[in-house]
Amino acid sequence: MRQAARRRAGGVALVLALTGALGGCGVLPPLPDPVPSDIVPTSPADLSPAAGGDALSPDGFDAVERMAVRIRNVGCEELSTGSGFAIDEHTLITNKHVVADSKDLEVSTYDGHDITVGTTSTAGLADLAVVRTTDPLPSHPELAKADPEPGDHVTVVGYPAGGELTVTEGEVKGSTRDPLNANLGEVLLTDAPVEPGSSGSAALDDKGRVIGVVYAKTGDDNSLLVPLSTLQEMLDDDTAFTPASGC
Amino acid sequence: MTEAPVVVAPGPDRAPRPRRGSRVLAIVLVATIAVGAYLWLTTVRWQRTATEWEAKAQGYADEVGSLRMQLDGANSELQAARDQLSTATSRITDLANEKAQLGDENVASQQYLDYQTQVSGAAATVASALGQCVSGQEQLVGYLKEADQYEPADLIRYEKEVNALCADAEDANQALQKELRR
Repeated sequence: MRQAARRRAGGVALVLALTGALGGCGVLPPLPDPVPSDIVPTSPADLSPAAGGDALSPDGFDAVERMAVRIRNVGCEELSTGSGFAIDEHTLITNKHVVADSKDLEVSTYDGHDITVGTTSTAGLADLAVVRTTDPLPSHPELAKADPEPGDHVTVVGYPAGGELTVTEGEVKGSTRDPLNANLGEVLLTDAPVEPGSSGSAALDDKGRVIGVVYAKTGDDNSLLVPLSTLQEMLDDDTAFTPASGC
Repeated sequence: MTEAPVVVAPGPDRAPRPRRGSRVLAIVLVATIAVGAYLWLTTVRWQRTATEWEAKAQGYADEVGSLRMQLDGANSELQAARDQLSTATSRITDLANEKAQLGDENVASQQYLDYQTQVSGAAATVASALGQCVSGQEQLVGYLKEADQYEPADLIRYEKEVNALCADAEDANQALQKELRR
């Protein structure tokens, strides 16, 4: 009798062992996990902004357009126009010849706002001028760290022929001696198109930083820039700029 | 020493072989039933889970469809807004340019008006000088008709004064004519 009970227990154990072995070895499918009540998606790590998102600005204008200004030089006998750009909230850079022989300077921004001018100073050794404004300027770019190299891309933003705000592009061709003798040292030559009225325009690199100031156009339609290094030297020298004499 | 003879005690007969086989069969049967029951339970659970997942997937698919439609709508609105912004910025640029050109024209007109005012003033001065010249010459002619009543030296001095006045008036007139031809 005891042996029979022992055999029955052995049989049950065998069945359980078999079942366990079958289940444990993966022959039998496991029971499913309960369906979660809510599924939280994982955020994609490389989610990129929508197309065109990088062009957003307070009013739809690029930073390079917002920092450009149009300068109207009302002389005693004639009228001329030029361009300029902000380097801080109340300071503009342009060319000396843009503000020369002036009775009144009138500055306007990309959106037609008039900016009241305070004082004007001109450099003795370069075709550069600094205009201080009493009204704040909408935007200003950074200055680059160094002069550009030949082949570097350049963007010029200004008001050619006193017309619409225009952005033109080209590349730096190299440095050359100033054919107009208006600047001490070498100047930059680029193939970015400019016209009379573009004088004082900012020349920018790919990051929107100032690399020079347009001051002339050559006979073969290239443009001449006062290089950033000259601009920096003049700005760092307290005696470089003297108050401009009007007409 | 001699070994004692071994005597085998009589015992119960051994179970017949077929009974052991039936036991094995019974164990296999029980195991099969157990596995079958487990499989049935698993199948039912998986079916239920699959149904729940399908319902959930359908819900999410509906949600994705709805969100996709909303996204398409939002993208259309975004594109329309971008187009409007582009048009607005172009218009602002145009208006800024028109304002600048009008400002230039105003300044140029003001400068021309100032010039015209200066020219008119100069013309009036020249006309006055020429008038004084004519008056002086008429006066001189009158003096010469009655030359015997005046000192010759006075007549000569007056003639020189009139000539100088007329020369100045003529120079001013020439300068004015030259300016007007510019």
